[in-house]
Amino acid sequence: MVGEKHHSPTTFLVRKAVIATMTADIPLGLKKKGLQLLQLVRPLLGGIVGLFLVYRLYVVLIVEHPYGPDTWTRLLIAGIILGGVYSLIAIGYTLVYGILFMINFAHGDVMMIGAFSGYFIFEAFNALKVGLDGKSNFLNSQPIISIIIAFIVGMTVAALTGYFLEKIAYRPLRKAPRLVPLISAIGASIFLENAVELLFSPQLRNYTNPDILRRGAGWTLVINHSNVIIPYTGVFSFVLSAVLLVILYTIVRKTRLGRAMRAVALDKKTAALMGVDVDQTISQTFILSGALAGAAGVMYGIHNGLVYYYTGFIPGIKAFTAAVLGGIGNIPGAMLGGMFLGVIESMGPAALGIDFQLKDVLAFVILILVLIFKPSGLLGESLAEEKV
Amino acid sequence: MKKTMKVVFVLTVAALLFAGCAPAATATQAPAATTAAPAATAAAAATAAPEAVCKTDPFGCAVFGPGDTVKIGMGAPMTGGDASYGIDISQGATIAIADASDVKGWKFALDAEDDLGTAEGGAAVANKFVSDQSIVAVAGHIFSGATAAAVPIYVKAGIPMLSPSATNPALTNPGSTVFNRIAFTDTEQGTAAADYLFTKLNVKNLALIHDGSDYGKGLADIVAAQFTKDGGTVAVEQAITPGETDYTAVLSAVSSKKPDALFFGGYTAEGAIICNQMKQTGLDKAIFFGDDGTYGADFLTRTGANGEGAYASIAPASPDTAAKDAFNTAYQTQFGKAPGTLSPYTWAGYDAAAALASVVKTVAFVGSDGKLYVPRSAMVDGVRHLTNYVGLSGTFTCQSNGECNTAAPQFVVVKAGAWVPAAQQ
Amino acid sequence: MNKAALRQSFNTGIIFGIVHIFCVLVAFNAMLGVLLAEIVHVTSSVTAPVVGSLIVYGILLGIWAGITSTRRQREASNGQRLLASLVTGASFGFLAALLVGIFQAMISLNINPRDYLTNLSFPFMRACLYSLPAFLGITANFFTFLVSSFLGGLMVVGWNLSAVASVRHHIVSAPKTWMANIRTGSAKKQRTWKYVFYALLFVVVAILPIEWGSYWNYVIGTVGLYVIMGLGLNIIVGLSGQLVLGYIAFFAIGAYTVALLNAPVPHNLAVGFWPSLILAVILAGLSGLLLGLPLMRLRGDYLAIVTLGFGEIIRILLNSDVLTSFSGGPRGVQGIEGPTLFGKPFNDVEYMYLIILAVLLGIYVYGRLQHSRTGRAWLAIREDETVARATGVNTVNYKLLALVIGAGFAGLAGGISAAMNQFIGPSDQSLMASINVLCEIIVGGMGNIPGTLLGAFALKGLPELLREVENYRMLAFGALLVAMMIIRPEGLIPSQRHTLELPEETTEPSSPENTNASDSNGSTEKPHD
Repeated sequence: MVGEKHHSPTTFLVRKAVIATMTADIPLGLKKKGLQLLQLVRPLLGGIVGLFLVYRLYVVLIVEHPYGPDTWTRLLIAGIILGGVYSLIAIGYTLVYGILFMINFAHGDVMMIGAFSGYFIFEAFNALKVGLDGKSNFLNSQPIISIIIAFIVGMTVAALTGYFLEKIAYRPLRKAPRLVPLISAIGASIFLENAVELLFSPQLRNYTNPDILRRGAGWTLVINHSNVIIPYTGVFSFVLSAVLLVILYTIVRKTRLGRAMRAVALDKKTAALMGVDVDQTISQTFILSGALAGAAGVMYGIHNGLVYYYTGFIPGIKAFTAAVLGGIGNIPGAMLGGMFLGVIESMGPAALGIDFQLKDVLAFVILILVLIFKPSGLLGESLAEEKV
Repeated sequence: MKKTMKVVFVLTVAALLFAGCAPAATATQAPAATTAAPAATAAAAATAAPEAVCKTDPFGCAVFGPGDTVKIGMGAPMTGGDASYGIDISQGATIAIADASDVKGWKFALDAEDDLGTAEGGAAVANKFVSDQSIVAVAGHIFSGATAAAVPIYVKAGIPMLSPSATNPALTNPGSTVFNRIAFTDTEQGTAAADYLFTKLNVKNLALIHDGSDYGKGLADIVAAQFTKDGGTVAVEQAITPGETDYTAVLSAVSSKKPDALFFGGYTAEGAIICNQMKQTGLDKAIFFGDDGTYGADFLTRTGANGEGAYASIAPASPDTAAKDAFNTAYQTQFGKAPGTLSPYTWAGYDAAAALASVVKTVAFVGSDGKLYVPRSAMVDGVRHLTNYVGLSGTFTCQSNGECNTAAPQFVVVKAGAWVPAAQQ
Repeated sequence: MNKAALRQSFNTGIIFGIVHIFCVLVAFNAMLGVLLAEIVHVTSSVTAPVVGSLIVYGILLGIWAGITSTRRQREASNGQRLLASLVTGASFGFLAALLVGIFQAMISLNINPRDYLTNLSFPFMRACLYSLPAFLGITANFFTFLVSSFLGGLMVVGWNLSAVASVRHHIVSAPKTWMANIRTGSAKKQRTWKYVFYALLFVVVAILPIEWGSYWNYVIGTVGLYVIMGLGLNIIVGLSGQLVLGYIAFFAIGAYTVALLNAPVPHNLAVGFWPSLILAVILAGLSGLLLGLPLMRLRGDYLAIVTLGFGEIIRILLNSDVLTSFSGGPRGVQGIEGPTLFGKPFNDVEYMYLIILAVLLGIYVYGRLQHSRTGRAWLAIREDETVARATGVNTVNYKLLALVIGAGFAGLAGGISAAMNQFIGPSDQSLMASINVLCEIIVGGMGNIPGTLLGAFALKGLPELLREVENYRMLAFGALLVAMMIIRPEGLIPSQRHTLELPEETTEPSSPENTNASDSNGSTEKPHD
């Protein structure tokens, strides 16, 4: 071959051996059998996993039944609330992926910035004294306005962060191969986390909720002689998630921006030829996904109460898992993936009788299994197809 | 490709060479007795070191010329998810060093380095410290994982350690001469807590939750074992993943066993969340029993009304509250936050550094040539033989295995939004 | 001066102003001040910075702003360029003055923002005002930036004056001609240079570990281990194009194999270092195979998240209660017995030699694979898997081979690391560690050996050198990653591909060809399996 260098005999023999093993002419019959064996891997794996699941569920639910219906209800409630938050963040990932085919690693940190903004607003209103006696604060005398403003500010700041993130770290890399924007996203994520840590100190911040949204309080259901609490903050999160998802869906389906997004996702060049301003559409997508993340962040703070610079990291990874689970690039897929993941995390370990510490393991194992049998996620991919 | 490879190799090697000629440490090492000294200590020519002690000392002496600083090192996680611990403890230690001010005219300084709390980081920082002759002791490391990797390195160089927070019991098992800690021994704490729960609080059915760290899990395991020995039943033991904020699932599962009390092994962040979420998961009647990691003003702020009736264990407080107040004010002024908000170990960080400085003051002497000598073996012994040292977080006497805090814990409970001593045994 | 130029300089000033505000809020100016003060043996601290150091920081930043602004105005006359720097300085100075004005207001009204913005203590804010009374401090800030920006402009204009240019030319030309002579010398001359170079390198590599102390042995040893991991990941990601994000899992498997077989707790086995190292490599490779088998159908990003999940699964399992009796749980494994030489355990020098040997082995294997038929098959798969399959390359086998070999490299590094540190714990096997290795190979330059070496050194060695700027290290790291990707996405040392099929060109390409650019022809990458 042209350009081959001369090697010593030993190297030559070794190389020959390696090549021989790689491309040896296996007798055709054996080759066919080998291929058939490989084909069997997936159904075999499916069978094993299915049997295992059935067995464990049987053991836990029928034989041992350690938990009463009240516990199951609690787990379900926790799962649904968690799923709502995951869905919201997952959609942000999916939107960006559909348009740019890049994993926006910094998305979790955008959520964290939204959470921090909400925190500062609540703190400000908590300190603002109103009323004739100067005793009550703005937060509790006008809770609804406070909450609305907190969300608006959180979503705006997060949206701006998303916008500048795209402008500084991603736009120059439009034409680069896949890995380069990924590394840039990782760098941006590290930068944002550490910037927040240096600005606001690593202290864990506690959200001061207005009294009507006290953490831990809620409607009480009596199931099986015990009180199951449906927390106010949880219901609030879920309802708001649902509302935002509906709004997003409408935007994507009915508005011009949505059409532009779908067009750019389908084919950038043709969309540009059709008169769509690609740059602006991409910026607007980032703004939208940032706003959703910001809302998720404020919700997270209200429901869970603790925010610090690293808050976004784990939900970010989980939400990304959810987005992939549902089929990345697919909005209903992200919603489904998020809810699915939330419920599995909550109820899975209990249903299978394994340690709660292993819930993340369970989540990832499910992801792997889903992807083995359906490599493009539960609902398949593509932002632009009619499914959306 | 060949050319670029060459250029790169040249550049890399040149850079390494350049970096290798790092500026020499400010202090020098007096010659050690045996030739088994690690390669780091350049065999200084036997300059007139009139102190015979240094020659017989197997690790030699640290020598400080006029104007040099005596350094105390600290390896802590300063970046990453656990940065709050490292930053907090190093800040406490900084104040201690400032208070200790100087030894016979040579100023003290704290050298806090980021070890990320991991084994790799701990070993890197340890290696850096042993090659710096002006470091006479290490207040650390902070996390057990980093400490474990660092101990063998310090053993070889004869640098004593006094950790404020590395609680893994196995750390004192190998019987090293240099590792000491003022952190609470988990065994003492756990056994006492189990007994207290069983006898004083009349808990018969105990649930345990821990955060999976060697601290939390170690403690929970000890409590479970002792509680069973006392005659109680362990309803369930579950682990949570730290760093999350929603533990309702675990709590729901635990509540289905209807325990009388919930023991939590872990730190304030997760402990407060669990305490807060107990009500909504059916555990409103169970007692929350924490450890010294959940004690602090931070816990009170986070739990608010939900924290009423929560227990925690603490080291018996030192009697000198004036010193503690002074420290609290100094910390607040210098760093803008109350001690204990970033981690529960602020006072222990102060104590570790202050104790080490006090040992240096005892051990160091000025030689006939006007230089300051700190014999290393004497340092190691001095730290190991700390007796009745009164610190902010307790009174310490180091035992022969390096445990300096074997006092029985005190239990405190939250009443009306403040920590008060609980009825003792 | 036209409007566009004016607006551009104005914007430059605004951007610099925002960056400056950020730096002040994170006390980066004080941190730089500490470093600057050290040069003149003055002690400054981040909480109470010396005013002089802050002024110097301001001047340097202002000069940079002036230089940037002036350089943008290429066409304009010198006078207009200076005007541009003045405009930049004015807008920059205005923002800076605004910031310290707010500081002054807070000081006067005794509002302490410290609870939220943790660096803004009163001493700090006063120092930012240069310890001058209110109005003076604000205007001083304004003029610092205005004047230094103008200075920057002057410097650029001066640099480009013809007189200076000729001096420049003379200084630069000599080394350039020397380099050119080396490159175009006769083959014999090149070979002699090569031998001299390698001999020098050998001497250096053999002597240095003994000379430079245990700290540097440790640091460069860690760099060496990361080189091995980088090479392994390069095989998987760089050569065969499979994005794997959970690479540290293989490292963990290798490390735990050596650890569990050589430590008193939990199993009290003493199998010996060398056999367990070999077993570590084999087990890691095997796990690569087992991971890869079910995932062969997955496309790029799905593979990434699945491997990320796999890495996390391994970490959580190692940390969990269920496996504590097997793997030591969150406490990890302590007291790992390492290799011994004549009965004595290795000291740091001997570990360094071991690592150097391992690195050389890794380089050899990688180099041979890269230029072999296997390597070409991987390149084909990376470029376009469907076409590769169509031309008869057994993609599944080759992809699995890449995973196995790459994982084996990681297992080797893990085994050595466990013995070196005598401790291994689950918290070390985090996602960030995988990401570090990935960043290392991409920043260094994917798919080639010198790139991996440089990347490992940059990512592992530099932070050691940069311990001074401790708290800001990660911040700088993040910013650098983004900057690197924007400025030089092909990495510090882009890989070259032999253009064998084009005989008209020289066999040794004179310009580095960016192989990564070849799959980005500006067309949209459509996902398909």
